[in-house]
Amino acid sequence: MVNDVHVAPPAPPRWYESLFIAVGAPFTAVGRELRGDVALAFAALGAIFRGAAGRRAVVQQAYAVGNRSLFFITATLGFLGLISVYQVATQIQQILPDFSMLGAAFIQLMIREFAPTITGLMIATRVGSGIAAEIGSMVVTEQVDALRMCNADPVEYLVAPRVLGSVVMVPMLSIYAVLVATLAGMALGHAVFDIPTQTFLSLRLVKGPDIVLGLVKAVSYGFWIPIVAAHAGLSATGGSAGVGWATTRAVVATSFAVVLLDFVISGASYVIFSV
Amino acid sequence: MIEFIDIHKRFGEKRVLEGVSITVEAGRVLYLIGTSGAGKSVLVKHLVGLLRPDSGRIVLDGQDITGLSEAAFYAVRRKCAMVFQHSTLFDSMTVLDNVALPYRKHARMKRAEANERALEKLALVGMREAAWRLPAEIGAGLQKRVAIARALTLDPQFVIFDEPTTGLDPLAAKHVDDLIRSLRNDTGVTAIVVSHDIRSIFTVADRIAMIYQGGIRLDGTPDDFRRSDDPVVRQFITGRPDGPMVI
Repeated sequence: MVNDVHVAPPAPPRWYESLFIAVGAPFTAVGRELRGDVALAFAALGAIFRGAAGRRAVVQQAYAVGNRSLFFITATLGFLGLISVYQVATQIQQILPDFSMLGAAFIQLMIREFAPTITGLMIATRVGSGIAAEIGSMVVTEQVDALRMCNADPVEYLVAPRVLGSVVMVPMLSIYAVLVATLAGMALGHAVFDIPTQTFLSLRLVKGPDIVLGLVKAVSYGFWIPIVAAHAGLSATGGSAGVGWATTRAVVATSFAVVLLDFVISGASYVIFSV
Repeated sequence: MIEFIDIHKRFGEKRVLEGVSITVEAGRVLYLIGTSGAGKSVLVKHLVGLLRPDSGRIVLDGQDITGLSEAAFYAVRRKCAMVFQHSTLFDSMTVLDNVALPYRKHARMKRAEANERALEKLALVGMREAAWRLPAEIGAGLQKRVAIARALTLDPQFVIFDEPTTGLDPLAAKHVDDLIRSLRNDTGVTAIVVSHDIRSIFTVADRIAMIYQGGIRLDGTPDDFRRSDDPVVRQFITGRPDGPMVI
């Protein structure tokens, strides 16, 4: 018997349905991305607590994240210290030429905000792009599949060591960033505005919660940057173009993650510590 | 025995496999042929859980492995090895570490013992001297030999070769063909070989299956393919640019 059942093609969406689709698509894409990041974070934490991240690999990754970023962080935070102190001191000079609180406020701001966040952004671009490119190229050349064939879990092998290395080194780099920015700011304050170094190097505004806040931010960035970048790399498809896209996506997503975490952690700090 | 039963697979809107069914008898070598992008590699990756079918079943030695978890697939991968198209040696590891990895991960051996066993495997493929070199320091043909050594470390019952002779010079390709033949003849390995290499296909295969437009176009012996008057099969075998085949 001839099959004469006719199925009508689906009707095109109405204008308001198209509008909903257009508006909703980016949100569903971000939601999908976040779900993938969180799932990878749990898998990486599982691998770390099982002790599955090889010690040698963790040391290698810590070296790649920390030692290889030293010059980059020195230059960036050094210039940030110079510019910040120059701008603020110029403003103060025009209103009330009293620099006694400049150093104390600068150091507090560096500890709780700028040192960890600027360091996080620098690591997001330098290290995040590298992680996405390396893992992405391993995906498209089937090296990740080969790992799975060898009973080597890619999360244990590729993600967990990077997360551990980064969680250790980003706080260290943030502490180093505070020192570099402070020394640069102090030198400029002394040379241009004649601020005594003892006056500048004042910790009187720095409280315990400021230090906790700075460290919490640094640890959070250290954890999420490799997770988000590795997820972008593991999602790479196709050839070199796919790796390129994964790298771009990693830089955008890790930078956005740093800014978002900064906002969330600072907001939580105001609620919890009222500072 | 390996059975693919009514396998369907799509990536987004692209339907790659639409109801593929193939059986490979134990101890035989099946060559999967077809144009680039036909779905040959996609099909074989289902056997070791690197891809999951949208529908259909995969049966390995009587066990339905279709719905196994990633963790459960590690046992399957221990007895079913795969040699990838691009060798896929890990750039940051030496040749020795690459070959020792399955011993350390699958067989849970200590590094020293794994290295010792890996050196034996490398010696079998004539690569012992290159053990401490990085993959980037050896040529493509030698990399392929190391990849084969790595795949054979745990003496698998089943081996998938994904385009094993692509990019190799004729001598290296002949060496790979001989290796596949000796695996079948000496150790009874069941093999699936994805290939475009017509010379290899007709000298090594026990059976050939051609994938075309998501399905099996012809499944038979090399003689069946030689005698076939299917214009698609004829065009593929003879390599004629003109014909019905959509590339």
